[in-house]
Amino acid sequence: MNGAYFVGIDAGSSATKCVVLAADGKMLGHAVVPSGFDYVEAAEAALTGALGGTPCTREGIGFCVSTGYGRKNIAWADRQVTEITCHARGAREWYPQVRGIVDIGGQDTKFIWIDGRGELIDYRMNSKCAAGTGTFLESVAVRLGVPLASIDDLAMSSTARSILNSYCTVFTGTEVIERIKAGEPRQDISMGLFRSIAARVFEMSAARDGPIAATGGVVAHCKAMRRALEEILAAPLLLPPLPQQAGAYGAALLAREMAAETDSPQRAQSSQREQSVER
Amino acid sequence: MGAAVKRVEIQAQQRLRTLMRDYFLDLDAAARDPQRRVAWCTSVGPCEILAAFGFATYFPENHGALLGAKKVSHQYIPLAVSAGYCAESCSYMNSDIGAAIGGYSPLQEAYGIAGPPKPDLLAYNTNQCREVQDWFEFFGRRHNAPVFGICPPRQLGEVTPAHVAFVRGELERLIHQIEGRFGLSLDRRRLEEVVALSSRASTLWREALETARARPAPIVFWDGLIQMAPVILMRGSRLAVEYYETLLAEMKQRVHDGIGAVPGEQYRIYWEGMPVWPRVRDLSEKCLELRAAVVASTYCNSWAFEEYAGGDPLEWMARTSTEIFINRAESFKEPFLLDMFERFAIDGAVFHNARTCPNNTNSRFGLAQRLREQHNAAVLVIDGDLSDQRFFSTAQTMTNLEAFIEQLETRRRSGNARRPAAQGAGR
Repeated sequence: MNGAYFVGIDAGSSATKCVVLAADGKMLGHAVVPSGFDYVEAAEAALTGALGGTPCTREGIGFCVSTGYGRKNIAWADRQVTEITCHARGAREWYPQVRGIVDIGGQDTKFIWIDGRGELIDYRMNSKCAAGTGTFLESVAVRLGVPLASIDDLAMSSTARSILNSYCTVFTGTEVIERIKAGEPRQDISMGLFRSIAARVFEMSAARDGPIAATGGVVAHCKAMRRALEEILAAPLLLPPLPQQAGAYGAALLAREMAAETDSPQRAQSSQREQSVER
Repeated sequence: MGAAVKRVEIQAQQRLRTLMRDYFLDLDAAARDPQRRVAWCTSVGPCEILAAFGFATYFPENHGALLGAKKVSHQYIPLAVSAGYCAESCSYMNSDIGAAIGGYSPLQEAYGIAGPPKPDLLAYNTNQCREVQDWFEFFGRRHNAPVFGICPPRQLGEVTPAHVAFVRGELERLIHQIEGRFGLSLDRRRLEEVVALSSRASTLWREALETARARPAPIVFWDGLIQMAPVILMRGSRLAVEYYETLLAEMKQRVHDGIGAVPGEQYRIYWEGMPVWPRVRDLSEKCLELRAAVVASTYCNSWAFEEYAGGDPLEWMARTSTEIFINRAESFKEPFLLDMFERFAIDGAVFHNARTCPNNTNSRFGLAQRLREQHNAAVLVIDGDLSDQRFFSTAQTMTNLEAFIEQLETRRRSGNARRPAAQGAGR
């Protein structure tokens, strides 16, 4: 092993997250940057941000795992692992008792189930549809001309049981405007928006039981999302200290474990190349 | 760094290209020859009767698959939708109807012919879905040709003698309709010959698929999608029998030589449901990269019928076309799938939830979840479509597949993998 530090990069559709771990697994640094148009540029910026204030330099990185939609674009990562495995790993490190992980990201919503050993036993992702994702919320916020944070604040002041249709992002925007015209209080409409996402998430829950943690940018930034999820799941959610960085944290933890299984990063890379096949 | 592994191509493929060309050129010639007749037929339809009458048979479902594989379905589906067909109805049907309206066929580029042959008759069997009925009716109106159909009982648990007798009666009715319409008389001895050839091709096809029980599997689903053409298009001919004799011999040799369709095979996957025709190449390459061999599928087995042992050919046709997987209740499908998982030593099953094909999608009534929870099967459901690529997300599906392999790896490491029978994969 060349370096004593381990890095996880989660190149998501909206944000790129990076976590740096020490040899003992302690989190030394983390960063979140917008993904923008260039995953590579965003990953560089996230890494620079995460390394800042830590004793680790780029040369000190022993192993790096990338995850998220842009995981294949991070050429300097030693290994790529899907965000499903990484989110499960990150959440379990924070909460060993966790069985279910809800991750609401920009483009994807996932419901992941693990067993007592942390083994992935089931997972569901949203289909090819933005409804129920962070993009859904952003689209409606843009349509209303209101910042996302304001929708969250409004929603938290609602006391009604309102829920919106969430089967089409465009028509939900229309429904919001119709309800405003009909005089429904904005705070109730806002809370209904979060409940509609929670309903989509619930459909993916596969009727399983166990403590559930919530990860991803939407739960990190929106209290109303957490409230809506707790309502529909009828259970308190485990909320990690850094929900948005859960995937990157899991990736960094896996990097540390993979490094321990491998003599050197060079060998890991070589082993990966050996796996490439031609058709 | 290790040397890159090359995939060994199936040698019979070269013969298949010639067969396909000859088949379509002959259809084109038959359509232009006043002495010959062309019948359009569903893929698990009454093709043996049509062949025994002397019709050249053409299969619109194959054309739907070709449009999907050419990645053009989404260009033609809007033409069908504008003609009144629902956008979420069968994308084979919609793209085929749309392509006809738009004057396009992949056969133009592939074989230099104008397109599908003009039918003298269209004959369907709704054993797979009711969509074929309206699909054929469209073309019947378009070409002013008669449309005759068989509507068997659907979604059966057990197939009883009464069911078979009913369908046999439907086949007799079809024969009388054809005889009456065209002034023909069916040669019953010829029908027996055609059925025997059809059954022989089907048996050889099944045996070729069964060679994938070996480790490594000599043939995978992606190969099967190409290799199955003769058992659909040329069933009842000697050409199909000869082709599968060649293919089976090659597959047996591959097993003997230890040649796998996926070099370095690590995981054995079952594919449930329709293929995603516009993404077959992407998916096969992803599986190759993941060392995942899709060793068995419901789809390729759809034309692996029980062998004809002589006797009443109509009874055999009635039984085999009614017994097919797609026409069965989940009480039949669940043990069928478990048996396939066992015999092919399956590590995990991928269920394709095809948006426009509810009839050949088996993840909509809890079956996948029951297999997971009651039988500890590793199961993944992916969303897509057989032909309309607008319903398929490449990035999401590839992430799903990669995560599935990560899951299988974890199960294997932790000793939680489902244990298939040891006899499953012997060479």
